Amino acid sequence: MTILRDRLIRCFSAVFPTIPGEAIPTASIESLKEWDSLNAVTLITVLEEEFGIRINIRDLTSLSSFKTIENYLLKRDDIS
Amino acid sequence: MTSASNKMKLIDALELLKHPISEGASPLKVYLDCGFTPLHLQTFLAAQLRVLCPHSLIDIKTGLYGDFVGNLQRVSPSDMDVMSLVIEWQDFDPRLGIRSLGGWHSSSLSDIVETAERRATQIGQTIIQLSYSIVICICLPTLPLPPLFVTRSHQGSSHELQLRDMVASLASSVCRAPGVRVISQQSLDELSPLGERFDMESEIMTGFPYTLPHASIVAELLAALVQNPTPKKGLITDLDDTLWAGILGEVGVDGVSWSLEQNAHLHGLYQQMLASLASAGILIGVASKNDPALVEKAFARGDLILRRESVFPFDVHWGRKSESVHRILKTWNIGPESVIFIDDSPMEIAEVAAAFPELECLLFPKNDYPLVWKALKRLRDFFGKGVVSQEDSFRLQSIRDATALREFSKTDNGSLDNFLRDADAKILFTLGKNPGDARALELINKTNQFNLNGRRLKESDWLSYLKEPTTFLLTAIYQDKFGPLGKIAVLLGRQEHRRLFIDTWVMSCRAFSRHIEHQFLKYLFEKYDADEIIVDFEETSRNGPLQEFLKPWLEGLPSQRQTISKDSFFEKAPHLYHRVEEDVYDHIA
Repeated sequence: MTILRDRLIRCFSAVFPTIPGEAIPTASIESLKEWDSLNAVTLITVLEEEFGIRINIRDLTSLSSFKTIENYLLKRDDIS
Repeated sequence: MTSASNKMKLIDALELLKHPISEGASPLKVYLDCGFTPLHLQTFLAAQLRVLCPHSLIDIKTGLYGDFVGNLQRVSPSDMDVMSLVIEWQDFDPRLGIRSLGGWHSSSLSDIVETAERRATQIGQTIIQLSYSIVICICLPTLPLPPLFVTRSHQGSSHELQLRDMVASLASSVCRAPGVRVISQQSLDELSPLGERFDMESEIMTGFPYTLPHASIVAELLAALVQNPTPKKGLITDLDDTLWAGILGEVGVDGVSWSLEQNAHLHGLYQQMLASLASAGILIGVASKNDPALVEKAFARGDLILRRESVFPFDVHWGRKSESVHRILKTWNIGPESVIFIDDSPMEIAEVAAAFPELECLLFPKNDYPLVWKALKRLRDFFGKGVVSQEDSFRLQSIRDATALREFSKTDNGSLDNFLRDADAKILFTLGKNPGDARALELINKTNQFNLNGRRLKESDWLSYLKEPTTFLLTAIYQDKFGPLGKIAVLLGRQEHRRLFIDTWVMSCRAFSRHIEHQFLKYLFEKYDADEIIVDFEETSRNGPLQEFLKPWLEGLPSQRQTISKDSFFEKAPHLYHRVEEDVYDHIA
């Protein structure tokens, strides 16, 4: 859990470099103005690369916060 | 750029771009034109440029989605330093992509090819037109064509082959234009397998067609073209078990070998590569622990692929290799950072590397076929250049001549005036603005000793300067009875009535001690009927020869803007013996 969270924080930090580290776990599409469509695509691509998975396009709309993404990854049994 | 790829992950690229930029970084403005969403390619390109150009502030601008040609036509070259064009099949005709449903009907195929050919012509013409104003780096289609042809996928169709022929023609026509650099298809194929390039889901969902590894490789190759590092200038090679198989002192002149029959073909290939490099103006020297007389005899063998006349100097003795390297560098008058040293002995490599940390030392991988193949490719990458100029063919001869000149001076009581009087020297001045004069720009960017201020020019600076109406470009080609030196000096200046301002002035060290620099000023005073010439001097750690030249016209140390009056110049200039010819044109070619 901690390792996954650390890796996820690294992904968020790379895509949203202006967010302070402590604010990342509470980041969401509503709270973060930088979370636009372009960065959403970049974030998903970074997650796919980092965790060695493909994320179904149907899941994208629900992946709208750090927390929902963390829960999504925890449920996947194929992450590397 | 070496053959080995440094494939980058997207997260690493993003993190790299977060690092602060060093103070005083100069801007590098890049226009990235692609018909698809630039997305991760832009990120990778910025990151790769950050790696290759750490002292530049990278600023990448992009155009509109789906309008490759429009973007190309709308761009203002003066706002950019370099353009990176990434062309994919759909930029020639949208039906060659998968986001268009314009139809793959068999009866449409000829029309698709014709449309693509018209578009390729338009793209080619626009690129050539722009190439006179800006550096352009190009990546031609990298993705597989969609299955629109009527043949099975393993069988080439005439339409497919026409499209590939069209791209090859486009590449070969634009790469001859000044400032155009095209990514090698072969390099791309080696680094990014064709079957692993296309991301169909990403293309359909986001308009970005590349897999991440492919985007990383395309960006890496583009960044290498943008950076365009200065090639190395010289190679110092060992002989025994390197240039040939066998120890000369043991097996004798007829015992050393480099042929297939004698199982020594790798040494023959190495000789062939050195001969090729020598023909492109790369200096080849020999550092060998050997008997000089035996080496002389070995190089008299008629079957040697690397001919004796392509090598200078030979430093053959039983002392340390680093001593040889030191003498050879002195003869060539270049620094160790511009040279490669090759030897089959790890001990010799270590000894030379310790003495010259900036020198690139390579172990000759004898008997290891894959490593020799890699080494040959590395050599090409170290010395690769866009074109071979006339000056490249003169370089070795002129170094021999300079050595002869030094010997001549010693035997003639050092009388430079006598030497110059008898040298039968001729200078051809060319006054005109040719932005495609790669040799002139090369001289500006690599000359250190006779350099007015040490400033280097990016190709965009060069092109911008030449476009200014008051500026001029003066170059000089020199030859004397010792042989031609080729184009050896470049001067960039501006005219304001009867005053001339010299902003850039460089002369190759091969041309020292011939009073060519005095002839330059004499020519300018007379040509422009100028009263004074103001030189934009700046002292550097290496431009001592330029400072020495200016001394007679200065009071005290040179200051940044130094004025030389006509009267003062002619009063103190030495007698000049050169025959001067000129070639003048007043337009940008």
